[in-house]
Amino acid sequence: MGLARYSRATFLRELALILVAAVFCLPLYLLVAIALDTTAQSFKTPLSFPWPPHFGNFAQAWHAGGLGNLGHALESSLIITVSSVACLLVLGSLCAYAVARRQGRLSNVLYVLFVLGIILPFQLAIIPLYVAMRHLGLVGNYAGMILLNVGLLMPLTVFLYTGFIRALPRDYEEAARVDGAGLLRTYARVVFPLLWPITATAAVLVGIIVWNEFFVALIFLAGTRYQTLPVALYNFAGEYVARWNLVFAGVLIAIAPVLAFYLFAQRQLIRGFSGGVKG
Amino acid sequence: MTAGITLTGVGKVYPGGTQAISNLDLAIEPGELMVLVGPSGCGKTTTLRMTAGLEEITEGEIRIGDRVVNSLDPRERDVAMVFQNYALYPHMTVYDNLAFPLRAHGLARAEVRKRVERAAELLGLDGLLGRKPRALSGGQRQRVAMGRAIVREPQVFLMDEPLSNLDAKLRTEMRAEIADLQRELGVTTMYVTHDQVEAMTLGRRIAVLSGGVLQQQGPPQQLYDEPANVFVATFIGSPAMNLLAGRIERDGDALVCALGDRRVPVHPANRAAAALAGYTGAEVVVGARPEHLTDSAGSPPDRPRLKGRVRFVELLGAEQLVQLELDAIPVVAEAGTNGLPGRGGSRAFALARFASETRVSPGDLVEVRVATGRLRFFDPKTGRAIR
Repeated sequence: MGLARYSRATFLRELALILVAAVFCLPLYLLVAIALDTTAQSFKTPLSFPWPPHFGNFAQAWHAGGLGNLGHALESSLIITVSSVACLLVLGSLCAYAVARRQGRLSNVLYVLFVLGIILPFQLAIIPLYVAMRHLGLVGNYAGMILLNVGLLMPLTVFLYTGFIRALPRDYEEAARVDGAGLLRTYARVVFPLLWPITATAAVLVGIIVWNEFFVALIFLAGTRYQTLPVALYNFAGEYVARWNLVFAGVLIAIAPVLAFYLFAQRQLIRGFSGGVKG
Repeated sequence: MTAGITLTGVGKVYPGGTQAISNLDLAIEPGELMVLVGPSGCGKTTTLRMTAGLEEITEGEIRIGDRVVNSLDPRERDVAMVFQNYALYPHMTVYDNLAFPLRAHGLARAEVRKRVERAAELLGLDGLLGRKPRALSGGQRQRVAMGRAIVREPQVFLMDEPLSNLDAKLRTEMRAEIADLQRELGVTTMYVTHDQVEAMTLGRRIAVLSGGVLQQQGPPQQLYDEPANVFVATFIGSPAMNLLAGRIERDGDALVCALGDRRVPVHPANRAAAALAGYTGAEVVVGARPEHLTDSAGSPPDRPRLKGRVRFVELLGAEQLVQLELDAIPVVAEAGTNGLPGRGGSRAFALARFASETRVSPGDLVEVRVATGRLRFFDPKTGRAIR
């Protein structure tokens, strides 16, 4: 198989791809352009890139608002996301290990229940859930929000891990058992490290969902000092509805940590996704 | 301290009703290397896994030393196992792989280091301790797997086809190494393989399994010379023993065996001679190893011979294997079943060993000399050896 010559068709195909990419990039461009614009200019010429760029919007967005202060919200989002993801990975992988490896009807039933948990819309149960959580004192604080996230995303996490563990050869665990390791040691030293590719996938997937989660956070955290970035941005947008440049600067601030994490971890993550378990 | 392994009446039925092992009795002496051999699905790996504790047994008793281990967890059995694909922990270095069983047993750090280094030196792994398994060659991985088994100084080694992932040359080398190591350490070893050559060269005793049933156990030479049934006769030895349909007849005082239109006397020194008298007029299965069918050139004309047409010749250097089409009724042993023989096609093919100087080519009509003292006879109904 040789390299294809750069022909007219290739050129046209590339052109089409570049155009599609440009369309996808347009909202991002608008976001950046308007975030750097003055209020007046942003209404007059929203498409043109502002010169000189107006970085003051970021400072203003950062300090604006009382409860909706973005700095606070960023902190809340970080605490809630990191804690939720950590709990999900540890508990989800343990649970999936049992579901995947234990023979018998019970683990099959459990697995079906978890899959149902992915399919069923949790919004249906939000009112009784809210009432119950309020009675337990779990509304308007970190613990409640983390518990909710863990509960809501456990089915997805278990589903991801179970599929991976089922495909993992049992030899490693058997070797560990014969070598004298107990269940917990086998799990911690042999099984969990082998799950690294799916742990990375699950962490990113679940992390993004928690980071962007709006509906539950709005109901359980709005109006408290623990509200997350999406909720804060929502309030912010309501407050500054006539000043899109400030709102967009706030959105960029909210995106920044995720982007930074992606740039920092992308090589590791891609390696995690593409690698399997090799003996 | 090494200990023997005793299996008494062991049976295994998988959920779903598949009988993997039936009523298996096997005793491995302390320090002995016993090879379990058989075709795939014969139950040899199941036997090994039951001994390791990775598979529950349905009936019978397994003892290691004088402890009944039936219901013990693998880690309580004090056994070490080498897996077919080595099962080296891919995320750990060679050092950590070797140290894993020691740490699992709670040994002190200094003792772990001492034992790992000793094992590494014994197996020539000194320079590789910092590497991950994927950076090792097949032979090196095999050695690490052996190392992981020996560091703990267990009572018993269990090896599940440890050489099957290596190329032919390396396999021969490692086979010798395993034999040396086992002798040196003197640890009781149960070794599973499907390769009868490996079994013959490695085991002081071999147990042949088929269909979950022990067919025969004994030293390699005994299995080769005195196969207990048609299955063992065809499974042990390469190329396999030729099987032909014969009929026992009486010729005066002597017994003869009719093979096609030829009559071959039953050698009075043949182990089966006495028992064969009871088969007069009956059909038997006659087994002849290729080396007992030889070039008739230079042998006295009154010696028993068979006539056949050469189909093809395989030159092996020192000798040649000649496939002949004999005027006799063929028998095929159906491997995998209990070794009951059945009728084959209309013509019998047999392999004979000729000296390399003899000139034969396909299509030639040749006569082969039969070493009648070495012929083996089997009952066609039961497949068992007549003796």
